[in-house]
Amino acid sequence: MPSLLRKPARPPDADAPVISMVDVGVTYPNGKVALSDVNVALAAGDFAFLVGPSGAGKSTFIRLLIREQRATAGTVTVAGRDLGRMRRGAVPGLRRRIGTVFQDFRLLPAKTVAENVAFALEVTGAPRATIRERVPRLLSLVGLDRHSGHLPSQLSGGEQQRTAIARALVHDPAILIADEPTGNLDPVTSWEIIQLLIGINDLGTTVLMATHNQEIVNAMRRRVLALEGGRLVRDEDAAAYEREY
Amino acid sequence: MGFLRFAGFSVVRAWQGFWRNAMMSLAATATVVLMLSLLAALFIIISGLNSGLEFIESKVGVTVRLADDLPEIGRELIIRDAEALPGVATVTYVSPEEALERLREAYRAAGQELDTGGANIKLYSSLEITLTDASAGSSVAAALAEHDGVERILTKQDEYDALLGIINVIRTAGIVVVGLVGITVLFMIINTIRIAVFSRAPEIEIMRLVGASDSFIRWPFILEGVLCGLIGSLVTIVAVAAIWGPIQPIMVSVFQMPIAVSSQFLATLSLVLLATGLGLGALGSWISVRSYLAATT
Repeated sequence: MPSLLRKPARPPDADAPVISMVDVGVTYPNGKVALSDVNVALAAGDFAFLVGPSGAGKSTFIRLLIREQRATAGTVTVAGRDLGRMRRGAVPGLRRRIGTVFQDFRLLPAKTVAENVAFALEVTGAPRATIRERVPRLLSLVGLDRHSGHLPSQLSGGEQQRTAIARALVHDPAILIADEPTGNLDPVTSWEIIQLLIGINDLGTTVLMATHNQEIVNAMRRRVLALEGGRLVRDEDAAAYEREY
Repeated sequence: MGFLRFAGFSVVRAWQGFWRNAMMSLAATATVVLMLSLLAALFIIISGLNSGLEFIESKVGVTVRLADDLPEIGRELIIRDAEALPGVATVTYVSPEEALERLREAYRAAGQELDTGGANIKLYSSLEITLTDASAGSSVAAALAEHDGVERILTKQDEYDALLGIINVIRTAGIVVVGLVGITVLFMIINTIRIAVFSRAPEIEIMRLVGASDSFIRWPFILEGVLCGLIGSLVTIVAVAAIWGPIQPIMVSVFQMPIAVSSQFLATLSLVLLATGLGLGALGSWISVRSYLAATT
């Protein structure tokens, strides 16, 4: 398992995509098309922005990757697993390989920062020794070691999002998916979160970030996947936001 | 180690969940107590009636009065035929002299002396037949009535059938009532756990996102339902134990329950109440969580 504190050695199949969509489509029973003919591949260590207007299919795209939803057409492969053929019982194992961060943080309000992070380990049956070792390490990584005993209500938005990121990293995931992680944050805090995500990506974790933040996308000049009307209309490296949604 | 961690996690979360949703949990527990109290009452009544029935069954038999002029060979034939009939346990010949002696004994037992006024009375000779199956009385009587030398046949079949009918009515009505209350309890537990599940939907969502298996999500809720059943059954057992003191002598004297059975009865009843409470709690919460987990991913 790769460590978050040091860059892992490049694996032999590093060029194999950790995320792959081939001719993927999602059509709801009422006939509404959420995604259509999406073809995309992200290699280990990639950093990509997922952009597009509301209703373009970004959320569906993310739900497919964490297997909250199945594609009605095509093949979705994550970390070498075909999600269309995946049994329900194997989904928790997949989700331990994918960290997820959301705009609304999704922290448990009655638990402290350390307890929120530890909770993700407890509910997957991690030994106490692992929890005691890993939680402080992650809080240190995201710069929250001095806030471990605070409740979410005692934290700023940026600190709450850092807590959510620490929680997303508890299983040393190969992929980190961030759905509008800066949506509720001011510009300065947003940049801090982006810098944190870049740092995590530098350690070898593939990062996919859905965002409406044009300023960040243009400044970062990373790979951009643009969805419109359920179709992937652009997939460019070192790209700009290009248009306002 | 892994299982112990899982079990510890589930038990702690179930306990926290029970008290976090205390009003609903206690309401569900109260319905468990109500249902188990009805079950206990029914169990006690039916056990008493069954004991009474068994006592009567042991007394029910067939008495065959024989004709005075029946030769010994004819009597032996009837005895042999009677012993071969299905449902017959024993056949005992009672001579007129023995019957008279029994009559005298009966008088003495009542504190009197049989006064025949000096007359030389002669009673009927008879066969006393005990049965392995009390319901066989009518068929045994019908088969023996065809023999020559049989004057009259006495059975207590009608009384036995009437008592059996009453017990069956009480038993059926009791089962229906307990069944209806049981269904109500089941729905109360389903509802309680469903509310608990929905109130913790954000937590469940996070558990799923970080890769918790369905077992880690499901078992704390199932144990929460089991806790309702456990507390409900323990309260009922304590209440029944408190009133068992005055009930036990009635079971022995009125219903003729054997003392050995009555001394074990409370333990047996407690096991039935505990198993029913735990079973209903587990079943209700399992149905509730299963339907929620099946509807979400």
